[in-house]
Amino acid sequence: MFRFPIDVESFPLGKGPMVMLVLFLISTLFIFGRSEEHGEDLEFWIFANTHYEEYQARVPIFEAQNPGVNVQLINFGGTMHDKLLAAMLSNFGAPDLVEVEITSIGRFLKGAIDEVGFLDLRPRLESEGWMDKLVVSRFTPWSYRGRIFGIPHDLHPVVLLYRDDLFKAAGVEMTEVETWDDFIAAGKKATRDLDGDGKIDQYAIVLDRRTESDYFSLLLQQGGGFFDEDGTVIIDSELAIETLAFFTALFNEHKIATPVYGTWHGDPSNFAAMQDGKILSILAPDWYVGILKSQVPQMSGKWKAVGIPAWHPNGRRTTTRGGTMVGITKQCKNPDRAWELLKFTYFDRPGLVNRYETTRIIPPLKAAWDAPIFKEPDVYLGGQPLGELFIQLAPDLPPRYQNPYWSEGADLLNDAIFAAVTEKQTPREALTDLAEKVRALMAKDSSRWGERNH
Amino acid sequence: MQRKRATNLFWNQQQKIAPYLFIAPFYLLFVVFMGYPLISSLVMSLYEMRGFQSRIFVGFGNFTDLFRDPIFWKSLRNTAYFAAGTLILQLPIALLLAILLNSKFVKGKNFLRLAFFAPVLVAGVFVAIIFNLVYDQRAGLVNQEFVLFGKEIGWLNEENYVMPAVILTGVWQWAGFNMIYFLAGLQGIRQELYEAAAVDGANWWQAFVHVTLPSLRPVIAFVVVVSMIGSLQLFDLPFILTNGGEPADAGSTIVMYLYKNGFQFMRLGYAATIGWVLFFIIAVISIVQLKLLGIFRDE
Repeated sequence: MFRFPIDVESFPLGKGPMVMLVLFLISTLFIFGRSEEHGEDLEFWIFANTHYEEYQARVPIFEAQNPGVNVQLINFGGTMHDKLLAAMLSNFGAPDLVEVEITSIGRFLKGAIDEVGFLDLRPRLESEGWMDKLVVSRFTPWSYRGRIFGIPHDLHPVVLLYRDDLFKAAGVEMTEVETWDDFIAAGKKATRDLDGDGKIDQYAIVLDRRTESDYFSLLLQQGGGFFDEDGTVIIDSELAIETLAFFTALFNEHKIATPVYGTWHGDPSNFAAMQDGKILSILAPDWYVGILKSQVPQMSGKWKAVGIPAWHPNGRRTTTRGGTMVGITKQCKNPDRAWELLKFTYFDRPGLVNRYETTRIIPPLKAAWDAPIFKEPDVYLGGQPLGELFIQLAPDLPPRYQNPYWSEGADLLNDAIFAAVTEKQTPREALTDLAEKVRALMAKDSSRWGERNH
Repeated sequence: MQRKRATNLFWNQQQKIAPYLFIAPFYLLFVVFMGYPLISSLVMSLYEMRGFQSRIFVGFGNFTDLFRDPIFWKSLRNTAYFAAGTLILQLPIALLLAILLNSKFVKGKNFLRLAFFAPVLVAGVFVAIIFNLVYDQRAGLVNQEFVLFGKEIGWLNEENYVMPAVILTGVWQWAGFNMIYFLAGLQGIRQELYEAAAVDGANWWQAFVHVTLPSLRPVIAFVVVVSMIGSLQLFDLPFILTNGGEPADAGSTIVMYLYKNGFQFMRLGYAATIGWVLFFIIAVISIVQLKLLGIFRDE
């Protein structure tokens, strides 16, 4: 007969704790003693639901093409960047591949260039001839000091979405608007008090004065930026000051712009204002059109799109806003395999066509642009082939140089824009103060770190 | 026989050390998840971290930088503003609600208790999303009422209104929760004290001042101290409600600034410094409050 090896009755506090202890030991052995599944795992972190859904549908094809490879897609949503930061700080637990959002990448570039947690993908891109096949200006947000840490997921060209019916009712034909001066003249006609109560009922354009989004898009269109290619602060350049003066004049002098309703362009109250006909136009990147379609489908057929007005005749008619990259982390055990998955998700033509179909995002791979879907009429825009317009504008996208100080700079830029628009400071004062603060921060770091800073 | 004696001796020893083994998990977890991070962050506050591997010793450099940082002072002012709003608005409302619900004249007490307490069950993130709609400039519930008087306030778009909006949201969420503490305190006051006061000719107000408030002193001290600590640690509500403290850092709080420095700007040493300064602020305020409320006094 089986005899329990220890005297259960004399176990401290009786049988209960004894049973708990045994269960604890068994479950621990089960969890840690579990054999690893055969094959190779690739972990891929994502923060955007639409991207996750796209890859979820396509990864089984990659797994079928690469027997023995298991791809684990993990969608952490908005908290992903913080988790990635923690994993890179602890040098443990980072995925093989990861997508990073454009406003977040700066923090991952802090410190010595060799300490950046992503592999430099330039050698692979160059040796396989991918550089010429992609829009080169879109590598700038993901590059620093000559190294390319990520592949662009998108281009995000910006167009001007406008209410053709309401502009026409005001006697304005928007297809004839070529420059921002033309737009101001058109906007003054279209910005109106319809019921005679002394309050403006419809504004020519809605702009975000709380954050850098619209101002910075206009600055990029001008060919400016916060930092230049060498990392020098240029936010107090005459170009930047002139652009901010123009931006504030749209609100205060010309009075044709309304601040965004709610906290950003995707706020429900902003959509409500659009439906009420309070907003006649908006600077819209490709992804924003996707959001409009899903959030306000009832506005289908009411919008049309043109390139955004140029600063000068025959000037650039687009800019860029937002973006995502995919990078291979230095913790990746098999970078070659990760590179294959990266190419499958980012350079595969059928996948990119599918991406446009579901999200309206134009891919950076030029070879995909001749797919018929980009020429199809878009019902949401009254039959206008929106993809064709985006692709027509894409080669003219301005560069957007990345810098480790972008996060601090953008935070302060938000304040400077608000101060200028609310007339607490002139545009020159606001941007000069801002540039001095960022330069002081960089100088302090340089004095403390010296060469190790780079 | 000898084997059994040996077994008993073993278990006798086990009984002596068993209590320590049973409490060991707490202390182990405390050391791993509290003690080590606390010491580590204190050390970190004396360093400047850069990138994922480099650090340089700066002594109290982060502290001197912090005291010269205008955004830190603005965040501190905003946090103090919220704490003052909690003290002046939220806690008196909570006490008032408790007194009303303790009164025999109010009907439907169970329902009202649940109704006032319910907001605390909603996660802060959802509260912020809901109130984003409530404060909407055009169609929000609050402005629908104010528009009647011809005023349309940009609650989340104008610097002066951002913190009042956050405070009012805090009142909605937490007043009912604090009401429960006050209610428990009120129900613990002996009825004889009120009867004695009535015999002495005290009116309602005099009974409130001389019986209710002194009897509630320990509860008030607890609620005030806990609410102050919560207020000084304010983060998720304004972070989501104001989209990261905008406009012009009008909604920025100390913990939000800590988060931004640590996770968005990758200035971990500086973020640790903010954390320790916040710790000292909370410690000093809590001790002063407990002293003022007479908690250290021998009765």
